[in-house]
Amino acid sequence: MSNEGKIAIPSLGKVVVVGGCGFLGHHIVNRIFKRHPDTKVAVVDLRTNTNRSSNPNASYHDTDITDPNAVMKVFGQFRPDVVIHTVAALPFAKPAMHDKVTIEGTNILLRAAQEVGVKAFVYTSSASVILDGKTELVNGDETWPLVTGKKQPEYYTTTKAYAEVAVLEANRSPSYPNFLTCAIRPAGIIGEGDVQTLPKMVTACRKGQHKFQVGDNNNLFDFTYVENVAHGHLLAAQALLHTHKILPTIPLDTERVDGEAFFITNGQPVYFWDFARAVWHETGDRMPLSSVWHLSHEFAMAIGTILVWAFWLLGRTPNLTPAQVRYSTMTKYHSIDKAKKRLGYAPVVDLGEGIKRGVKYILDQEVAESEKKGQ
Amino acid sequence: MPSPLTMLYYLVHPNELRSIIQWKTWHNPVHERDESKEGPALKRCFHFLDLTSRSFSAVIKELHPELLVPVCLFYLVLRGLDTIEDDMTISLQTKEPILRDFDNILERDGWTFTENGPNEKDRQLLVEFNVVIEEFKKVKPAYRDIIKDITKKMGNGMADYCNNAEHNVNGVNTIADYELYCHYVAGLVGEGLTRLFVEGKVANPALLNRPELMESMGQFLQQVNIIRDIKEDMVDKRRFWPKEVWTKYVTNFEDLSKPENKEVALQASSEMILLALRRADDCLYYLAGIKEQSVFNFCAIPQTMAIATLDLCFQNPVLFQRNIKIKKGDACQLMIESTQNLQLVCDIFRKYARKIHQKNNPHDPNFLNISIACGKIEQFIETIFPSQKKPVNMASPLSVAQAEKERKEAQEAKWDIIYMVSAVMLTIFFITGSMLFVAWLAGARFDIAFSEFRQQFGELMSLSDKPDARDPSENMVINHSEL
Repeated sequence: MSNEGKIAIPSLGKVVVVGGCGFLGHHIVNRIFKRHPDTKVAVVDLRTNTNRSSNPNASYHDTDITDPNAVMKVFGQFRPDVVIHTVAALPFAKPAMHDKVTIEGTNILLRAAQEVGVKAFVYTSSASVILDGKTELVNGDETWPLVTGKKQPEYYTTTKAYAEVAVLEANRSPSYPNFLTCAIRPAGIIGEGDVQTLPKMVTACRKGQHKFQVGDNNNLFDFTYVENVAHGHLLAAQALLHTHKILPTIPLDTERVDGEAFFITNGQPVYFWDFARAVWHETGDRMPLSSVWHLSHEFAMAIGTILVWAFWLLGRTPNLTPAQVRYSTMTKYHSIDKAKKRLGYAPVVDLGEGIKRGVKYILDQEVAESEKKGQ
Repeated sequence: MPSPLTMLYYLVHPNELRSIIQWKTWHNPVHERDESKEGPALKRCFHFLDLTSRSFSAVIKELHPELLVPVCLFYLVLRGLDTIEDDMTISLQTKEPILRDFDNILERDGWTFTENGPNEKDRQLLVEFNVVIEEFKKVKPAYRDIIKDITKKMGNGMADYCNNAEHNVNGVNTIADYELYCHYVAGLVGEGLTRLFVEGKVANPALLNRPELMESMGQFLQQVNIIRDIKEDMVDKRRFWPKEVWTKYVTNFEDLSKPENKEVALQASSEMILLALRRADDCLYYLAGIKEQSVFNFCAIPQTMAIATLDLCFQNPVLFQRNIKIKKGDACQLMIESTQNLQLVCDIFRKYARKIHQKNNPHDPNFLNISIACGKIEQFIETIFPSQKKPVNMASPLSVAQAEKERKEAQEAKWDIIYMVSAVMLTIFFITGSMLFVAWLAGARFDIAFSEFRQQFGELMSLSDKPDARDPSENMVINHSEL
C-alpha cells in the first residue's frame, strides 16, 4: 500500500542515529537506506546487539549518551552532518533516570553536535507534551502550550518536553548560529517491534477482554505506523539541510522548519475501539459486533478503582484500571497540517497496512518462540 | 386523506409526525416565485419542473430571483437530454447526433422531439420543448453560455457511453469508469451550478479554483443514488455498480440479491458506501463557500438527504430486496435543519457519520477504512467549527532549572506570607500588651471587668454559673455594690 514515487533522493551525508537499535530508531536506519541509499549511518546505542542493519554503510557504536567523552569520541571520529536523537528513559523509570537520560543525555548530545559542526539535529519528542491527562485533545496543533511540571501527570512526558525545549533553543544559538534543530512529535507509534500498543491489545484479546467496550466509542484516536514516523524524521532532516544551504537566511515563518516542532501521525484518526477491533480481527478474532458488552465510562471507572484497591492488597495489577478506562474513552487526535505544509509530509503506509504488519510480526514471533521451546 | 395505516404509523411515531407538521407550518421560503410576472411559456416550464422532479422542484422554486429561471431551465435542459439518453426505444443513429448537438438545439426556435417511446415518463417535456427554448432565449447571455457549455460536455459524454457497446452489455467496469460516469451525469451539474452561482454573485468565486469540491458535490449525490437504487436497476437490467467492486464478492451481479450471499453482498455495499463517504468532507467544504440562504438550502438539502440515505443503506440487507428510502418524518427533520446554517448541516453529517461507524462490522474488509472516513468527516468539522478552545498558555515550566526555580519561588512566597502574618500578629500583641499595662498602672480593675464579662457573656448564652442567676434581686445587689 506504499504510495511513494520512485524519485532519486539525494544522500543525507553522514547521519548519527542515537538509539538506532530501538523500536523507532532501527526503522529510521532502515528507512534511510531505503530512501537515501548513499547515506552513511553511525548508530549510537547503549547496546547494539539487536535490530542491526546488514547494510555496509552502517556502523554500530556501543555508547552511553550520559557519558560526554564517549559521545564526543564517536562524533569526533564520524563527523556527522545530521544527528537524529530518538533516545529517552523508559516511561516507567524513576525520575532521576528521566533527568539523567532524557534531559542530561540530550544536552550532552547537543553540545557534542555543536562542537563537531553538525548541520541538522532532529529530536524525537512526543505528542503527549500538550496533553495534561484531564482535558481531551480534539484536533490539537503545535500552537498548543506545553504541559509540564505539576500539571503533567507523567514525569516521562515532562522530561521529553524539557528536552524538546532545550533542542529548539539550541537552534541558531548565538555561539553556534549554523546549528539547526527541530522536533518531531509522534502519536501512538505502532509497528514491527512495538512493545507498547499492539502487544497489549493482542494480549487483551487472548484474555477475552475484547468482549467488553468501555464508553460510547465515539472518541477518535491517533495511531501512527512506525515507518511514517521515520519518514517524518527524514523529511525534517532534509528540510534542515536545505535551510543550512541558504544560511544565514531565515525562511518565511510559514515555511520554516528549524526551531519548530511537528506532530507526525498517520493523519487517519479512528475511533479507539474500532482500532482495537481491527487489531483483534488481524489476531484471528471473529466475534460479531453484536456480542460486545457495553460498559459506561462511569461504571468501568468505579469497577476499575475498586479492583485496583483490591488487587493492591494482593500485590498485583488488575486487568481493568482507571488509567486504561481513561485511555480508551478519551479523544486524542492532532492536526498534522503544519507537517504537511512545511515538511511535505504525507503518510507512506496506511493505517490498515500498518496494523497488518505489526500484528503479523507479533504472531510470527510467537510461532518462532514456540518452535524454540519445542526443540 | 392519509390511509388508516399511515395514521396508525404516525400514532406510534409521534416524533416524525411532529417534524412533518413543523416543516409544513413553519418553513417560509426565502424567496417566493412571483407568478403574476410570468408569461405562459415560463408558467409551462415550471409546470414541467413539477412534473419531472419531485425532490428538486421545491428547492429550485425558492431560489433567489436572479437564479430562479436559469437554474429551472438548466434542470429542464438536462432532464430533456437524459430522457433521450435513457430511452432504449430510440435507435443509436437517431440518438447520438441529438445528444452531441443538444447545445445548439437550445437555440433552434420551435424545436420539439416526439420520437420517445410512450412509456417514457418525461416524454411530454420534449414534445413541448419549444417553451424551454423560448424562455432560454430570454436568459442573460452569461448564464446561457454556462448552460450551453455544460450541455455540450454532458451530451458528448452521454453519447460516448451510448456508443460504448461494452458498457451497454456489462455496465460499468472499473471504479475509474464509475467515477467518470458520475462525472458526466452529476459532476458536470455541480460545475454548471457553481458557475451560475458565482456569476450571480451568491457563491465565493474561490469555489471555481477548487474543482474537486464541486465534483464531489455531484459525485456524492449520484453515488448515493446508485447505491440506493441497486435493486431497481437490477430489475431493469442496468449495472452501475462497477464490476471491479462486485466481482470481489460475487461472480454474477444478480447473485448480490440471493439470500445465501447476504454477507458478501453487504461487504460489496460497504465498499460502495466507502467510495461515496470519502467525498462527504468536500461537500461540507463546498457549502462553506455559499453566500446566499436560498442557494445554501438548495445545495444543502440534497447533501444531508444523501448522507442519511447512506446510513440507511449501510449494513442493511433489505437494500438488495426492495427499494428503500428515508422516512418522510426524517426527511422533514433534515430539511428543517438543512435550511439554517452550515453548523447545523455539519451536526447532521457528524450525527450520521457516527451512526454509520456504530454499525461498522469489524470483520468487513472495508471496516477500518470506513472508520477512517467517518473520522475524517469529524476532523474536518473540527477544523471549521472547533469544539474545543485552545488552552490559554498555562505557563508550564520549560526546563528542570525553571521548574526548580518556580518551586523555590513558590516556597519563598509561602515563607514571605508566614513572616508577614507573624510580624503583624506580634505588633498587635505588643500594642495591646502596652495599653493593658498602662491601664493597670493607672489603676484599672481587670478582676471586676473580667467577672462582669463572664456574667454578661453567660446571659448572652442564657447560661450562668449559678442556677439562680436570673433572680432580679441578686442582680440588684450586684448593681448596688457596683454603684
